[in-house]
Amino acid sequence: MKHSHRTLIALMITAALSACDTEATLDPQKQVGPNPELPQAKNFLLPPMQVPEGVAWKEGETPKVPAGLKIEKIASGLMHPRQVYVLPNNDVLVAEANGTPKPTTRPKQLIMGVVQQSSGKGGKGGNRITLLRNVNGQWEKHNFIENLNAPFGIQLTGNTLWVANADSLVKFPYQTGQTEIRTPGVEVTELPGGPINHHWTKSLLASPDGSKLYVGVGSNSNITENGIGAEYRRAAVLEVDAASGASRIYASGLRNPTGLQWEPQSGKLWAIVNERDEIGSDLVPDYMTSVQENGFYGWPYSYFGQHVDERAKPPRPDLVAKAIKPDYAISSHVAPLGLLFYTGDNMPQYRGGAFVSEHGSWNRKPLNGYQVMWVKFENGMPVGTPQPVVTGFLTDDQKQVRGLPVGLAMDQQGGLLVADDAGDAIWRVSKE
Amino acid sequence: MPIRPTQRPTFAVALYELFNPIPPGFFVAAWIFDILYMKSYQPLWTDAAGWLIVIGLLMAIIPRVINLVQVWFGHRYPQGSAIKTHFWLNLLAVIVAIFNAFIHSRDAYSVVPLGVILSTITVVLILLANVQLALRPRVGYGDAP
Repeated sequence: MKHSHRTLIALMITAALSACDTEATLDPQKQVGPNPELPQAKNFLLPPMQVPEGVAWKEGETPKVPAGLKIEKIASGLMHPRQVYVLPNNDVLVAEANGTPKPTTRPKQLIMGVVQQSSGKGGKGGNRITLLRNVNGQWEKHNFIENLNAPFGIQLTGNTLWVANADSLVKFPYQTGQTEIRTPGVEVTELPGGPINHHWTKSLLASPDGSKLYVGVGSNSNITENGIGAEYRRAAVLEVDAASGASRIYASGLRNPTGLQWEPQSGKLWAIVNERDEIGSDLVPDYMTSVQENGFYGWPYSYFGQHVDERAKPPRPDLVAKAIKPDYAISSHVAPLGLLFYTGDNMPQYRGGAFVSEHGSWNRKPLNGYQVMWVKFENGMPVGTPQPVVTGFLTDDQKQVRGLPVGLAMDQQGGLLVADDAGDAIWRVSKE
Repeated sequence: MPIRPTQRPTFAVALYELFNPIPPGFFVAAWIFDILYMKSYQPLWTDAAGWLIVIGLLMAIIPRVINLVQVWFGHRYPQGSAIKTHFWLNLLAVIVAIFNAFIHSRDAYSVVPLGVILSTITVVLILLANVQLALRPRVGYGDAP
């Protein structure tokens, strides 16, 4: 009796150890482009997890850029800066936020909270917008709008400044040169919010004529573990009518769409999307894609077209059948959170392509992302393979991380601005 | 022949009797909730089962430690006796439940089927442990026969 128990225990330990074999087996380069290699989905006892320890930038330390470029810190001491937006007079707005409180509904959340805190991703958000102004080479910092609720997206149309909070779209009157707005915002419409608000960031993009606003709304879970009812109007791009505040679902099945931008050549709407976790180091690749009106991109039922995710129940073969395959994979778990089509003159080598900031993986061994990359566009579509542009957020041994790239913007001189949420800083990249 | 109780600290026995019935209740509830999730797809059930397994395991610490001492220290029960079998089956149930707690940290329907299977095994092991202890002679518990 005793002996057979021991055999059983030994067997279970062996099974557990083999289940811990979670290292990536695919070169990320094979998961880049329109046809990424997709291995079999796996379930784990413990999903692959690797997070570097969060440390502060030391005095004089900066991310790295290729030869011929320089990088400078234009603001520090911010509170979790996530998005940057350049106003016509070259003032820079910075949205500082780190989500909203969430209920703890599962034991795993207790552990994940500790992991996140140690990785430097748990910094307190400012819930405000700060304005940065360059006065004779010195950067001034102004408290622009206060008491927001986890703001992310910012857009200016005419004299109206639009801010996407975690749960609402608000507008403020804005006059060129203002350094603070103290009038309360007017709520244009509610946006899918709490109490869970798992992917809380609401990215924002106005149509060229200013009549419509597009809002990227992330899913309320990794893969519907909070119930399909929690996903109402989520994992979608909403189209809001600027005049009335009425809204509709423009496209859906996009798990966490951010970085909404107009592709300059085709005029199409593009987004970057964080795909699902916990089915392997090499699944599912994050992607960038043009967003078709009324298009469905798979989440939660499938990924990259018709690859069914068995975790989403009840199954919806009708939706899987019409799932659109995204345009361009950028490899697994890189967590894209910023997109910028570069049209400036300062760094002509990057004209006609897009910068993508990769916040970096947690659900993968080894790490992936943690950089700003650039990919060339031809005829409105990405071509070739991405090249790293801003790196060095991680230490060389990948044990520590000093900052994480999020929002991207281009200033009026063509400089590339990078929000660094873990480093509480804004970086500017330009030619040397 | 009259049974002469062996010397066991009263406090430990009381603590054991207080805590020992709790984990089986939690594990049985988790098993039922797992089946409800499997059939209904409603995440409420699997979330609750996840908590039940974790709390059941925490509740099992005190009675299992007391049982460990009672079985292995100060007594020499023969191999395969009801008391030792009870100990081993419970230990196995705890190990299975620990694995199950990890399986229940998976998202959505990836808890099925393995989580349901492990919940079932946990319940069956505890049931076997208790029934055989009740029905078989407790050799070495009092006077040896």
